[in-house]
Amino acid sequence: MRRSRFPLLVTVAVIVFFYLPILVLVVNSFNASRFGSSWQGFSLRWYAGLVTEREIWAALRVTLIVAVSATAVSAVLGTTAALAMHRHRTRLQRFHSLLIAVPLVMPEILIGISLLLLFAIIGLGLGIFSIFLAHVTFCLSFVAIVVLGRLEGFDESLLEAARDLGATWWTATWRVLLPLLAPGIAAGALLAFTLSIDDFVITFFVAGPGATTLPIRIYSMIKHGSPPLISALSTLLLVVTLVAVWLSQRLIERRA
Amino acid sequence: MSTATPRKTGEWPLTLPSMVWLAVLVLVPALIVFVVAFRSADPYGGVGARWTLDTLRDLARESYLLIGWRTVYLSLLTTTLCLLFATPMAYFMARVSERWRHVLLLLVVVPFWTSFLVRIFAWKVVLHPEGLLKRALAALHLVSPEATLLYNPGAVLLVMVYISLPFAILPIYAAAERFDFSLLEAARDLGAGSLTAFRSVFMPGIRRGLASAALLVFIPSLGSYIVPDIVGGPRSEMIGNVIAQRVFSDRNLPHAGALSAVLTLLVLAPMLAALVLRSPQEEIPARRAGPG
Amino acid sequence: MPAGSGPMAGFLVLEGVSKSFGSVRAVESVSLAIERGEFFSLLGPSGCGKTTLLRVIAGLERPDAGRVLLDDQDITALPANKRKVNTIFQSYALFPHMTVRENVAFGLKVAKRPASEIEREVERMLALVQMQDQADKRPALLSGGQKQRVAVARALINRPQVLLLDEPLASLDLKLRQRMLLELDLIHDEVGITFLYVTHDQGEAMSLSDRIAVMNRGRVEQVGTPAQVYEAPRSSFVAAFIGDTNFFEGHVVELVNAEYSRIAIDGLPPLLSFNDTAKQPGMPVYLSVRPEKLRILREAPVPDGRHNVLAARVEDVVYLGTHTRFWVRAGAHRVAVFQQQGRFLLDERPVRWGDDVWISWHADDGFMIERFSEADGGLVERPPQKIGEEPSAISEAAAGDSKE
Repeated sequence: MRRSRFPLLVTVAVIVFFYLPILVLVVNSFNASRFGSSWQGFSLRWYAGLVTEREIWAALRVTLIVAVSATAVSAVLGTTAALAMHRHRTRLQRFHSLLIAVPLVMPEILIGISLLLLFAIIGLGLGIFSIFLAHVTFCLSFVAIVVLGRLEGFDESLLEAARDLGATWWTATWRVLLPLLAPGIAAGALLAFTLSIDDFVITFFVAGPGATTLPIRIYSMIKHGSPPLISALSTLLLVVTLVAVWLSQRLIERRA
Repeated sequence: MSTATPRKTGEWPLTLPSMVWLAVLVLVPALIVFVVAFRSADPYGGVGARWTLDTLRDLARESYLLIGWRTVYLSLLTTTLCLLFATPMAYFMARVSERWRHVLLLLVVVPFWTSFLVRIFAWKVVLHPEGLLKRALAALHLVSPEATLLYNPGAVLLVMVYISLPFAILPIYAAAERFDFSLLEAARDLGAGSLTAFRSVFMPGIRRGLASAALLVFIPSLGSYIVPDIVGGPRSEMIGNVIAQRVFSDRNLPHAGALSAVLTLLVLAPMLAALVLRSPQEEIPARRAGPG
Repeated sequence: MPAGSGPMAGFLVLEGVSKSFGSVRAVESVSLAIERGEFFSLLGPSGCGKTTLLRVIAGLERPDAGRVLLDDQDITALPANKRKVNTIFQSYALFPHMTVRENVAFGLKVAKRPASEIEREVERMLALVQMQDQADKRPALLSGGQKQRVAVARALINRPQVLLLDEPLASLDLKLRQRMLLELDLIHDEVGITFLYVTHDQGEAMSLSDRIAVMNRGRVEQVGTPAQVYEAPRSSFVAAFIGDTNFFEGHVVELVNAEYSRIAIDGLPPLLSFNDTAKQPGMPVYLSVRPEKLRILREAPVPDGRHNVLAARVEDVVYLGTHTRFWVRAGAHRVAVFQQQGRFLLDERPVRWGDDVWISWHADDGFMIERFSEADGGLVERPPQKIGEEPSAISEAAAGDSKE
């Protein structure tokens, strides 16, 4: 069949399109020039500067605290939600599924502002706790979707066998279902962690003056700071992300 | 109640935690947004004490209508462009060998894993008035030396497409992977040209993926805030910008609420349309032991 | 076993059990009484309800109607995990994240038995099924036969009162199946508990069972020993499902004497059958004769008033060593005759294609089956006969031919 070259060209163009700005960013981070518009020699001064930026480290600390706690809670809630939706096919679950779907499709700004209004009305002060609440809210749905996907392929006869051998529903869940579901839950948790670390819009709305996460810090740097410094930070984040992705891929391969 | 098949027991304990959390933190706040639109603004930046329709009347201002129109228009354009680029790419990816498919998927997903803000900022650097790209284009006489590539609707569109493309590629690719390509060969055999075959056999075949991609791009684009904020200018404000302004600069929460309500309605429209138009075979069949 | 005739005696008793899934009646008013220590099979084609019945007994399904009694106790409402009944699943359902040892120990662990007892019992069970060397492996590394043995050990360690087996040999190849058949038989003899075995393979059922219940479309057609079910089938379904048989359609004409009835068959001279007084003159019947009960003769035998004799022409011959299968045409009927080679064959002149021969059988060796069934709303369709088609592959008597 005559193969048109067009799809290949589009693919290549898109890939180049994807990586071009990132490449520019990485290159720029080594740019000695302060204004980032012309190359003035190779330099690591921006990386050195990052180390002394205390505000960045504080923001990183807040980000990690929120991410770890939000991941833990949303992993539990997301798993119970997935179990409920998988096991029972009632009207209640249809409503439940609808609720789960909302944070997935609602634009972040709407989630952000609606939470801000809620907190304003009930008088909850904005800070790390409000960020935590917001993050669990959207991470929960993602974990639920991932775990539900793993449950779809689960061999039900294993649970029947457990019951046949005398286990109660709880024992069967604890000793058979959860151990086998663990990789799925881990995948969901990893996704939640990534989403939490990277979130900006929702966090920006519910953070208030007390708590600054890394994305918020980056944003203010973008608005007011020097481009090469941000480039350096961005490159570092990029490297860290890539290493994390590579590590998790290796872990998945190990288990298989 | 101990039954032989106790599928009904245990439903509530499993459902309640997530349902309550989401009801309180998603459903209730969504309602609050609509309610707040009817309140007056408190001078100290909170929600006022009076019920009023003034906030809503303000919305009818012409400048708001223009912004609303621009939001819809830019989102539609972004969606169209994303579909235009994603479809041939997904087609290509679905036809190459297993190994290359893996590589391409990874290439598409990796930028996705990097910080969202970082990627937008990267474009700010690339499009900088004194950046390499601008100078190259000026040297080729494609743009005038004083022109700025940044801070206009074009830049916003470009970056929105950049951010949204992976969301379009993945669902279309998923649908293309399941597509039976021998159908295209059959079409060619029956005399169709490659473009006709593509249009009348391939596209309908992946229409579910196309629909998902369209929704996954259009709806978040409507709520865009950061992109126009960082690379857009005063001529490219979208609803998201105005909402943020009302909250952070003007401290006018009811206004922000009213605008958010409008945005919510804008978002609901395509979602309801999708629900109505989708064929009802989305139900996952329950796994029960059948007759043996 | 007449349904609804009062409480039945037995160790495992089903009374009027019915189960539907939506609009599908999987099991319809089934009553069975199974003795303690029996090897009892539920035999039937796929979709006949045998697996559903098994699951009802296991407690994995709740019946819409009827009762299940175990050792005189009504367990109908008892949940699966409280019943002293264990199941071998068709896919074995071994827990993939546990070793063989942990799988086998599961039931006792759940029952919170002391660790020393668990260890002792696990070793005993592993020895019983000869899996001691594989005790620390995960199920993924085991072969089909090994998985089945682990499943058996895992079930038996709980000392259930009944062991349920759901087509456990279905996923094994022929040779392995034969071996596992023997093993199951041995285990049953050694352990002595009641086995309830579900299968669609009549060879398995016949070779293992003390009694068989033949099921079709949710109902039990007949319960009996393998010999009873084979030699005296009560319905055309049973006659056709178990073994092979020839069917002659006709109706009862008259009672010749106290011993025999005469049946008129279309296109053939009237045939004699032993006097089954339930079949009255005028009643439409099938006369069913199993191929091994017929003999092929080169000359017309002397009529003796007890044998049926028909002229026929040989259409197909398949020589199988221990016996030969002939297909002959008598009138419009294609009849199968399986003749054992009792004497050294090469001394005789063999029967060949196209030969004109006589087939004969004793009137006692055929059986009449009603052709009219109220439950099925009229005349029963002649069941699909495999005999008219190509002979199936050679198989050992123990394993038998596998049915659909």
